[in-house]
Amino acid sequence: MKWMLGLFLVMAVLVIIPALESAFAAGDEPGEYLDRRVIIWNLFFRMMTVAFTVGAVVSGTIIWLVWRFRESHPKAKPTPYEGTDW
Amino acid sequence: MVLELQKPRPIWQIMFSTHHTDVGLLYLITSLGFLFLGGALALAIRAELFLPGAQIIADAMTFNRIFTVHGTTLIFLFIIPFASAVGNYYVPIMVRYKDMAYPKLNAIAFWMIPPSGALIWLGFADFTWYATPPYSIISAPGPAADMWIFGLKILGISSVLGAINFVVTILKCKHPDMSIGQVPLLAWSFLSSSLIILVAIPTFAAALLMLLTDRLGVSGFFNPALGGDPIAYAHLFWFTFHPEVYVLVIPAIGMMYEIIPRFSRKPIFSYNSGVFAFVLLSIVGFSSWAHHMYATGMSFTEKTVFMVGTLAAVPASAMHVFNFIATMWNGRIRFSTPMMWAVGGIALFFSAGAGGVVNSAMPLDFTTHDTYWVVGHFHLFVMGTIAFGSIGYLYYMFPYVTGRMYNETMGKIHFILSFVGTVLVFFTQHVLGLYGMPRRIFDYPPIPEWIAMNQIASIGAMVIGVSMAIFLANMIYSSGKGDLADTDDPFGLGGKYYYPFEAKNPSH
Repeated sequence: MKWMLGLFLVMAVLVIIPALESAFAAGDEPGEYLDRRVIIWNLFFRMMTVAFTVGAVVSGTIIWLVWRFRESHPKAKPTPYEGTDW
Repeated sequence: MVLELQKPRPIWQIMFSTHHTDVGLLYLITSLGFLFLGGALALAIRAELFLPGAQIIADAMTFNRIFTVHGTTLIFLFIIPFASAVGNYYVPIMVRYKDMAYPKLNAIAFWMIPPSGALIWLGFADFTWYATPPYSIISAPGPAADMWIFGLKILGISSVLGAINFVVTILKCKHPDMSIGQVPLLAWSFLSSSLIILVAIPTFAAALLMLLTDRLGVSGFFNPALGGDPIAYAHLFWFTFHPEVYVLVIPAIGMMYEIIPRFSRKPIFSYNSGVFAFVLLSIVGFSSWAHHMYATGMSFTEKTVFMVGTLAAVPASAMHVFNFIATMWNGRIRFSTPMMWAVGGIALFFSAGAGGVVNSAMPLDFTTHDTYWVVGHFHLFVMGTIAFGSIGYLYYMFPYVTGRMYNETMGKIHFILSFVGTVLVFFTQHVLGLYGMPRRIFDYPPIPEWIAMNQIASIGAMVIGVSMAIFLANMIYSSGKGDLADTDDPFGLGGKYYYPFEAKNPSH
């Protein structure tokens, strides 16, 4: 389970840190110049990169699961729980 | 389980019954009726937006009325009552009790729904499902607006009564031999969502009263002309209705927790993580309401807090998805109709969640706020996840309710068309939002990209409409003339069920 926790932590950092960085970039002092359009689209692309990467992995896993573990697959075999009162 | 349709009874016996499966059946039929009514309005909206200019709807006011009633109907009169139907059928049996804790209260909670539905439909208000102030208090035409307010008020009371019943049934009436850690995840989902309702709904109940007194002119809580603040309404509304999103989605995930292990022929990968994720979602649901209001001039610190609070829902949601994937792994999966809906629901749940992560980042929210991105995002949740989980479960419970099997081929066609249609409509709406199309508009300028994407979305909606017609035909025909089901194991999967046919509770 530890590696899963680590994975969640990495993903959380990947998502939250860039968002916080850009959110705080504006600062509270007047007179600072920020090209908000560039910042917003930069953040968007970074977050979409993360989202699409994770999305591709999860969706790919689901598609593979559906194909591989369907009961009509040549390698399908009964699970250890079949016929028992699990 | 009571086979409702195999042994026909006079309708009044079911209507005046307080037995949990009878009340469940009433919830089920009512919610499906409203699904088709609300869906018809969705088709009207998409037909109107197929091209710029007025198409089939006469004016903007009528358009506003249609999408207001569409949203109100599908959220309050389809999704919530459908979840109540499932809970009524299964929770008492899962906790091994003879009925819901308060059967009469249960029947009363149901019978509040038809009059509130009538108020909403006969009034046909025009101020969106959010009842946007100050428009709703200053110039929204009555009595439609007042009827909507009373309708929602009654629905809120019904939800609270139902929630009290579920909490007491699960916590106090479960069999003494059954610890809370043995309660099935579907029942846990009802416990979590009921607790959210009990905390969240009173706030909106207060807001509705304030809205009504504002409309009557005796107060000015949300009326700027009288020193009130419409943003205060936004806070009260979203304090209830962001958690309400979890009230809607948690039972649907609970339904997937029933379907996926059953059709994978394996126990759930991690029961404890499922429980933990439900509890976590129930808590963090209350830490994110103000992300709906980034654009209203909140302080920077507030916005940051709510951004992080919103992102806190990601780990809990990811735990559910991981749990589903790990359960299917090494299984021997039978892709009957309920399983197809459940797996499709997981895929779309993940997509909707990914969009939500982008949405919750406040700089991005400013570009997507009040655009079709938001429409695509929440519809992907309510249709892609909640409706998919619910419809999958409907197919799953069909043999138990009717004693007959639905037509499997029609069920699969229903799924495939709905999945394709959902992707066409709601993924396209995300892109449409990035192209800048605002939501809640009757007409739009003839920008070629907007026209093309609106047409794709409208075609997708028609595909969903066709699939729902197939669904309706299948349900009606199979209820009366479908093949008799083997009620001990209707899907031929083997293994233990929580609710064998023999477990039916006696009628009162």
